[in-house]
Amino acid sequence: MGPAPVKTSGPMKTSGPMKTSGLMKTSGKGRPAAEWFRSGQVGLIAALALLCAALSAATPVFLTAPNLINLVRQISINGILAVGVTYVLLTGGVDLSLGSVAALAGVVAARFAHPGEYPVVVPVAMGIATGACCGAISGVVAAKGRVAPFIVTLGMMTAARGTALVLSGGRPVSGLSEAFTRIGGSAIGGVPVPILVFFAVALASHLFLKNLKPGRYIYAVGGNENAARASGVGVAGIKALAYTICGSSAGLAGVVLASRITTGQPNAGVGYELDAIAAAVIGGTSLSGGVGGVGGTILGSLFMGVINNGLDLLNVSSYYQQIVKGLIIVGAVWMDRRHGR
Amino acid sequence: MKPTRRAMLAGLPVIVVSSSCGGRAPRSESRRIVIGVSLMNLSNEFIVMLDRSMEAKARELGVELLVNDAQRDAATQVRQVENFVVQKVDAIVLNPCEVEASSPAVDKAVAGGIPVVNVNSETRSAPTAFVGSSDEESGRIAMGYIAERLGGRGNVVMIDGFMGQAAQIKRDQGAREILAKNPGVRLLAAQTADWDRAKAMTLMENWIQSYGARIGAVFAQNDEMAMGALIALEQAKRKDKVVVAGVDAIADALQAVKNGRLDATVFQDAAGQGAKAIETAVKIVRKEPYDKETYIPFQLVTRENIARFLS
Repeated sequence: MGPAPVKTSGPMKTSGPMKTSGLMKTSGKGRPAAEWFRSGQVGLIAALALLCAALSAATPVFLTAPNLINLVRQISINGILAVGVTYVLLTGGVDLSLGSVAALAGVVAARFAHPGEYPVVVPVAMGIATGACCGAISGVVAAKGRVAPFIVTLGMMTAARGTALVLSGGRPVSGLSEAFTRIGGSAIGGVPVPILVFFAVALASHLFLKNLKPGRYIYAVGGNENAARASGVGVAGIKALAYTICGSSAGLAGVVLASRITTGQPNAGVGYELDAIAAAVIGGTSLSGGVGGVGGTILGSLFMGVINNGLDLLNVSSYYQQIVKGLIIVGAVWMDRRHGR
Repeated sequence: MKPTRRAMLAGLPVIVVSSSCGGRAPRSESRRIVIGVSLMNLSNEFIVMLDRSMEAKARELGVELLVNDAQRDAATQVRQVENFVVQKVDAIVLNPCEVEASSPAVDKAVAGGIPVVNVNSETRSAPTAFVGSSDEESGRIAMGYIAERLGGRGNVVMIDGFMGQAAQIKRDQGAREILAKNPGVRLLAAQTADWDRAKAMTLMENWIQSYGARIGAVFAQNDEMAMGALIALEQAKRKDKVVVAGVDAIADALQAVKNGRLDATVFQDAAGQGAKAIETAVKIVRKEPYDKETYIPFQLVTRENIARFLS
């Protein structure tokens, strides 16, 4: 859940300068439970529980199985994006292009998803590959070219949107095969496929960041870049990797979205990047890098999903929804930071 | 420093060239008519259709179009019109972003002595001519269809467009006029989904949770949102119990009507509006008589008459 403890990883043990990195401060020692307690998610879980209690008191519908499945399915796209952007945030970067890249990937996938053309893996792979390319470009320019990630990914946000419009001629790409639309619209054993995809991405990312060397290096780079470099981590390569993974997850999210709404929409996903970043930050991932993780991001994503679902169930006017959402997001992070530290 | 100076120097000849172009423009009487077009948003399918019909009409009449995309931003639109005035185009066709905020664009063109034809949406400031459809009518047609299908009794939910836009306000108004006349049809809930399919789908899923079997019909203020609601209903296996109607008659919606999935949409004639706008602008420039207001009628599209709308 919390930041991965660096001390167990082989090559890191010998690296003196690493001790100064942010992650060492918060989780250097202590048993997992205590570490998790201190990592600052207790406040968030309390806020989430409070919100759920209030909603189930306000409407009997909220705490029913169909609505909860519905709720988790609705967060799956934001969740996939949020898990992806967690990698980039952990390196101390940011990715503003997620929504546009997802739209582009959706359009590309849709163009390969007309009935009777290709097996369904082709559009899925093309969508993910599109996202990976976008992420790799951003990552290499940001890391090797030393351009601020904000600017690089802002450029990518505009360029990817433009490319999506060019490829689609400004019109949604429709008439997709049933095999493709089934990804977003069907369930396996009662669990909707988007949820399964989301959980698979989250689990894989959690294991990658906690147990594999490149995952640890991502924390190291974000915690203290100079120290990481001094101890022999290829900083630029690790950053490029983080952006590429983030881009791939945006591609995957775009494929799931296109499948769910049964079209490749060039103007889909506007503002999704901010929701994804908000989910990760609510979940305790630091905007300055080195601190956070996938577990928190899932909680953050769930939190935002509960707000959206609850406000719709209560039929709160759309004007007030935006005010309430803003207040709850800031309130949750505030509460979390107060209780967690 | 160095690159900056070089860039400035490189820019100079361009400025000279372009200003000499501008000076040359109004000289001869027999030259081609130039019409400046500022469109609300070229990433919207309906506006793309509008644009294509205008370009086709311009080719037919032998006039030149300068097409700009305001990307939903009224300030950008005003700037584009200012540029048209400086370029001394013969006429401007404006597809306004907003009722109020795009009004200065009309004022500036009129002050510059250039005729303006508003197409599709209105502005508070009066243009030289208007070509479009009255959006209240589309709301009335769609909600009227729903009231009829419900037999005058039942519950309806409404998915609004982007709040505050002319089309949203008027479609809402038209729909509510019909509701006022049919006291048996109750508006269960109304909420915006920003013209967006994915948002409408999420909203509908949540409504299915909170209202379930009480929902008898859905009016979505555009087809994208109607398609989103439709998919949500189909996945919840409730579509056969709910009437869904949209507006715009986009390709996807027409296909869905043909396949018996979507109950109805309202056809707004993008091609007719675009062609008529260019025609009117050319008439004004040639000082021929023209209609100050042209309303292209909406048409209800259901499975019975779908064949006429599929090309």
